[in-house]
Amino acid sequence: MAETKLVTITIDGKAYQVPAGSNLVDAAKWHADNDIPVFCYHPKMAPVGMCRMCVVELGMVEKDRATGEVIMENGQPKVRWMPKLQTACTQVATDGMVVRTDTDKVKAGRESVIEFLLTSHPLDCPICDKGGECPLQNLTMAHGNGVSRMNFADKLKLDKHVPLGDLIYLDEERCIQCARCIRFQDEIVGDDVLAFHERGRRLQIITKSDPGFDTYFSGNTTDICPVGALTTADFRFGARPWELTDVPSICPHDAAGTNISLSTRLDRDFGGRAMIKRVMPRQNEAVNEIWISDRTRFVHHFTRSDDRLQSPMVRRGERLSPTVWNEAIPALAEVLKAANGDVAVLAGGGASNEDLWELRQLLKGLGSERLGAWTTHSGAELLLEVGVGKGSNLGTLGKGDAILVVASDLEEEVPMWYLRVKQAQDRGAFLAVANHRPTRLAEIASQTERKVASQTERKPLVGKSVLYEAGKAAHWLNDLANSDPELYNTLKDAQNLVIIAGAEGLDWDGGRALMQAAANLLIAGGHVGKPNNGLMATLPEANGMGLQYLGYTTQNALDIIKNPPSVLITAQCDPLGDDPTAGSWMSKVNTLITLTLFPDDTTQRAAFALPVQSFAERDGTFINGERRVQRFYTAQGPMGDALPLWEIIARLRERLGQGRAKVSAAAVMLELSNHLPSFNGIRYKDLAQVERQYPDVGGKDLYYGGTAYQNKGGLGVQLPTTADNGSAPTTGTVNLPEVKQAKKGELLLIPTVRLYNRSHIMRPSALIANRVAKPFAALNNADAKKLGIKHGDRVEVRFNGGQATVTAQVSDSTPQGVVFVPRYLADTPTPMVITSASVVKVSDAVAVQ
Amino acid sequence: MNIIKGFRTTFKHLLEEPVTLQYPEQMRPFEARYKGRHHLRRYENGLEKCIGCALCAAACPADAIWVEAAENTDEERYSPGERYAKTYEINMLRCIFCGYCEDACPTQAIELGHEHQLSFTDRRDAIYTKEMLIDPVPSGGKPTPQKVEAGAFDRAIPDMPDPK
Repeated sequence: MAETKLVTITIDGKAYQVPAGSNLVDAAKWHADNDIPVFCYHPKMAPVGMCRMCVVELGMVEKDRATGEVIMENGQPKVRWMPKLQTACTQVATDGMVVRTDTDKVKAGRESVIEFLLTSHPLDCPICDKGGECPLQNLTMAHGNGVSRMNFADKLKLDKHVPLGDLIYLDEERCIQCARCIRFQDEIVGDDVLAFHERGRRLQIITKSDPGFDTYFSGNTTDICPVGALTTADFRFGARPWELTDVPSICPHDAAGTNISLSTRLDRDFGGRAMIKRVMPRQNEAVNEIWISDRTRFVHHFTRSDDRLQSPMVRRGERLSPTVWNEAIPALAEVLKAANGDVAVLAGGGASNEDLWELRQLLKGLGSERLGAWTTHSGAELLLEVGVGKGSNLGTLGKGDAILVVASDLEEEVPMWYLRVKQAQDRGAFLAVANHRPTRLAEIASQTERKVASQTERKPLVGKSVLYEAGKAAHWLNDLANSDPELYNTLKDAQNLVIIAGAEGLDWDGGRALMQAAANLLIAGGHVGKPNNGLMATLPEANGMGLQYLGYTTQNALDIIKNPPSVLITAQCDPLGDDPTAGSWMSKVNTLITLTLFPDDTTQRAAFALPVQSFAERDGTFINGERRVQRFYTAQGPMGDALPLWEIIARLRERLGQGRAKVSAAAVMLELSNHLPSFNGIRYKDLAQVERQYPDVGGKDLYYGGTAYQNKGGLGVQLPTTADNGSAPTTGTVNLPEVKQAKKGELLLIPTVRLYNRSHIMRPSALIANRVAKPFAALNNADAKKLGIKHGDRVEVRFNGGQATVTAQVSDSTPQGVVFVPRYLADTPTPMVITSASVVKVSDAVAVQ
Repeated sequence: MNIIKGFRTTFKHLLEEPVTLQYPEQMRPFEARYKGRHHLRRYENGLEKCIGCALCAAACPADAIWVEAAENTDEERYSPGERYAKTYEINMLRCIFCGYCEDACPTQAIELGHEHQLSFTDRRDAIYTKEMLIDPVPSGGKPTPQKVEAGAFDRAIPDMPDPK
């Protein structure tokens, strides 16, 4: 909380110093440890005073109007009490406020509210997914009357199973009409898709969107719902809440490093092993507050998919056949020894720091330093210099600050950042969004005010959205001072400036140029080396930052592509599935060793395919896009013979005579942080440190903040940048690459990212299958006309290395001369970087089934 | 005198019927409230009373009960409510036959019966599955899962008399 003036308020006879203007419910909880019960109030949202549960007796110390002195009565300050009970949630702390929460009058008030809410609440508790962690249950036990005066048979009978979209179910009988879900969508996410329908007793929640509940954050409404009205389709009847074991973990999908809690339980159908039953948010105010995106919540089934590679495979002739570790490891050792140091690694962002360290040591022992990062983003080395300062928190950006999001569709790439950037703008920050196509965030940025039903006051919003020529992100940003001095100065002169850079439409050279241009802007404005200032990048997967810290670079990857080694190890990446042109250089590799979760396209060509464990089955650490090293714990039982990646390599190293294999991930981290100065000697126990966070959610009083978990697994440690450490970064030259041009008669193919796609990780989650877009290519009207393509036609996109048959989406929002092809949607690999492609019509639009 | 008194008792008992029963050929009658092994009850139409709420497992002081629940559909309906027990297992070696499960059950689905002859040669045999615990389908009822008319059951929990 920001430092503000303190005022004295009296709660139940004791005086407390609280910040002026703080909400009374929050203040009582934080300072006086007094849990005022609430249903509709939520610390992250504006109060509405709808449920009346938080009633208290409220008064003000009387002062003499002339002198301003407190009037005393019998040695006590005289208090002028309000005649009736007041809702604490709509009161802000002011000097001299006196509150009573334990009088008979207050108790009677609370009891009446509970009785009123229960007049028609069904007795579903035994089967309700919320039963056991339900605010209504808890508050009824604490404040309700033990006996009902209502006739059970008279209760309203309503629809009990209303799907709001594919992911969330509504039980109309259970809803107590607190509007938390509606307000969350409206105020926090900005996807105003829920609403009240009808009035009085018939008041119901409905979804206004098509498809229903169309947002990437719908799961959070089930957490903050104070009853079991909203439940997820994923967890439905999965277990009772008290049976679950909560394991702290980190979202494996994107650079936000969302803190999650995996609720596990032994499962008979899973062979009696512990199984993830649901994914819940874990509070980390600097990272994800108490929210998680739907991808984080609903995409966990891949960890126990039968499609996973479950035993080490070795190629015998044409086919890969299963083997055991005791045979695979010696065979691998022979291959590596015979390679004579001509070995390289390509690692993806899914591998943890421990994995990357063991691989690095393996290569070092073999006499090679060819550590390549397989990622779409380059220039990550700048994040180590001018990354966001230590102590940054997007949640504290506000008036006077600025955020620039460039070359990224943030909602699809890192939804958590999207949410927090949007909220920063709500608080008054200037939001600039630049891309070559309109995105959701660009629309948000250009809004001058947002209609929020629960707030009568409309704060003006500041922001700007800019469209630049396709693929020219670096050119645009580098030339910003000349082309748009107003925007340039707004950004440069802001109190704090954060730049979030993506890589849409950029190859590795272009990405590096964009990062350098962004760094130059930050350095020019002095926005480096301090909190809430600096550069962030939407690095794909959870550990893109770890790749950079451990020395895996795109420069090395480029070198590997240009001079393929004799033996190539791919670690949790699938070059052949990601890039249709990879086959041309991959064929020059003699022996391909792949460490993978799924049998993917690279596995098809590998000599050895080794199953690795997913994040859920093992310990490890990821570094998020804000350079926060965060730890995840073993949650789920192992699949088949899969081992943690680091352990496979450690065993292999032992076989190669590189020293005894480590026995735990903690031991690997110990060695890693002792050797790499950038890790500041951090240990696992440092990563597990926690502290009290505001607001205080997840305690016994679930009603306050919902079922987001208290952080007991650690807040992580943010690594300092070189600028944080005092070395002043200097601006570098931006090497503007030539932008790829389409060949004559062709279009420029730009790959885009979709939150829900058909990658190996997504496919096993059947729930989101309906949300995954059908494979498409987005074209401009004029281009489509020229090519004789109509909206909805089946078209074939032909590019270097392959083709994909998709549906054409024709609109004006796609720039001319460009075709956008989302990655991982089509059945065949589509390009990973900007390239030239031809689009040919295959057949007419088929009627939509 | 005392010796006569003593022999009187002896002879009196000599002439009495012996109380020893030839167990297991002969069985002693059970009290109605005797707590033997559990039964999972059915409604007359054959649907299961158990709704898979796992309150029995929560109440169990010996951690003997394991419940995994799943959702009923109109195509495959096991119980009248929304939810049924997909897995229901009681480890008879752990069970102390206290009857708390019976008390905790909101639908009176689990009841302790009179069977007490439980012996096993393998610890795994001591785990009674749902198939072993559930009553046979009553005459006139249909076995579960049943295919029912859409919308015939719209309650989350079947209506039941007010708990007394």
